[in-house]
Amino acid sequence: MNNIVSIDKVAKVFRVGDEDFTALHEISLDIEPGAFMSFVGPSGSGKTTLLNLIGGLDQPTSGSVFFKNVKLGELNRTALAEYRRKNLGFIFQTYNLLPVYSVYENILFPLLLDGNKESAVRRSVLDMVDSVGLSDQIKKRPSQLSGGQCQRVAIARALVKKPELILADEPTANLDAENSFQILELMRELNKQFKAAFIFSTHDEKVTKYVNREVGLEDGRVCWDKRRNGSGSFE
Amino acid sequence: MIFNIAWKNFSRQGIRAVLNVMVTALAMIAVVFNISLYNGFQAQTTRNMIRTDVAGGHYRVPGFDILSPTEWEDVTRKIPESLDDLPNAERASALVQQGQLFPNRRLYPVQLRGIDVHQTLLDLPLDGLKSYGERVEDIIPAVLGVKMAQKAHLKQGDTTVLKWRDRHGVVDARDLLVVDVVTMVNSRVDEGVLWLRLDHLQDMTQRQNEISWVAVKEFQGPVQGMEFQEVDELIADILNLIENDRKYAQVFWVILIFLAGIGVFNTQILNVFKRQKEIGTLMALGMTSAQVVGLFTLEGSMAALLSVFVALLLGTALFAWFQSVGLDISHLAESTIPVHENILLDIHSGEVVSTIVIIVSVMVLVSWLPVRKITRLDPTLALRGRAIT
Repeated sequence: MNNIVSIDKVAKVFRVGDEDFTALHEISLDIEPGAFMSFVGPSGSGKTTLLNLIGGLDQPTSGSVFFKNVKLGELNRTALAEYRRKNLGFIFQTYNLLPVYSVYENILFPLLLDGNKESAVRRSVLDMVDSVGLSDQIKKRPSQLSGGQCQRVAIARALVKKPELILADEPTANLDAENSFQILELMRELNKQFKAAFIFSTHDEKVTKYVNREVGLEDGRVCWDKRRNGSGSFE
Repeated sequence: MIFNIAWKNFSRQGIRAVLNVMVTALAMIAVVFNISLYNGFQAQTTRNMIRTDVAGGHYRVPGFDILSPTEWEDVTRKIPESLDDLPNAERASALVQQGQLFPNRRLYPVQLRGIDVHQTLLDLPLDGLKSYGERVEDIIPAVLGVKMAQKAHLKQGDTTVLKWRDRHGVVDARDLLVVDVVTMVNSRVDEGVLWLRLDHLQDMTQRQNEISWVAVKEFQGPVQGMEFQEVDELIADILNLIENDRKYAQVFWVILIFLAGIGVFNTQILNVFKRQKEIGTLMALGMTSAQVVGLFTLEGSMAALLSVFVALLLGTALFAWFQSVGLDISHLAESTIPVHENILLDIHSGEVVSTIVIIVSVMVLVSWLPVRKITRLDPTLALRGRAIT
């Protein structure tokens, strides 16, 4: 198997009050390296749950999630943290930037966590800031930036350590149309440049124009799995 | 790395960090201030008793009991030479007898207390008696405390009739002149007490050179015909009162610490509550649970240390100012508690240290416990801000 992520009959059941709510019904999917794809569906369809399972932030009730043939269910908390630190980049709907840090420090943060010295990675961080077009905002804090600029910082933070997989949960949901297009364009360019796989969860139709593969979810089940063909249309 | 991140997080929190530090620092100051004020009250009470009455202990004529006035006349003796030879700064001889005043034609029973006017051991404002000769003349000079004067309706310069009995039981009476009305910090040597020269009272009662007790600076060894009563024995009732009071003070201290702890807990838990999403983000970025817990605990510890520093700074300034003015308790002048000057703080290092240790521990504990709980749950709950609700 050369897939970066394999999902094998994954089900997730949440306890809501006295009742069980099944968020995912035995889903199976394979995701190849460098993918640029989305999970599409209405609220409650299981998109975010699926992203969280791939990100090792949550555990499936049954079934397994593999990252490059490593079964995440067999990793303990510390190993899961290392898995996220080494391999993943997260982009959140509400950006989740660290509020007391500047643009530069937010992007630097994952590299410091990985044990790097600032002097050794300063150039990489500045290049990444440049890649997302925020060189003139480098000293500002998140509260001084627009939503689009915050999301650019989040993207830069996710990509700076050059992970193999980026998980983006509704990355355009809080952005206006122009910012959404800019962000999607940016992510597509970075996908080509860094070869990282991007998986979005979204119900934003604009995303469909950019992704190469679209997995439709409804009530925790896969309804369709479309891939873009050579002519650029989905099949 | 964690230390640098923690310092950056803490130092850049702005008003939230300032509030956190201030709440904790003020809580510490409030607790120490209250307990020290209480200590001050008790210490001044004891000090006043020693300063004005007890000194370093009394050599008393065996059987003398200040609470049995009817026996005072039977319990006197000549002052032993070994005590009489002590310098004025080391002994104060006193003779205590019963008497009756008749101010405004009313009878007022009083304790006649003759004191050696040359003594400097006890701090008594009796200079008004010094200018009179050793033999009592037609009129008896006396000094009254303010409370005594108020109750007897007497003022400086007034005369009234004083009646007493001499050593043979013969009743005698003479005019008394109030030469001075003085403020006594110890109401026990004010209310009901008429201060006379010792030689005058000895002369009046035909008890030449006799005393009821001799207050001394320190124990002089056994003296024949006298029994030594130590300070603790002489102020046993006050110590007993203080002992009981101390129990209440300790309960009060615990309540204050509890309140301060709740204040700190509330501020700190709110801080963690508001930062749940940040905790989730840190975990998503790959921080281990131990690192996140360590980070927040370190931040809490930094806040605690800064709080101690601020508390010491503000507390020193506040306490220094307070020691220069004191707490006015003149409203207690009517009580029998032997203190009515301004109360000053009496700071016990043990209480300061334990207050700091407890509050700092609460702060660190509250930084550690909820974060530990959050990191043991799914990071998704923290990311949604629902790990602690």
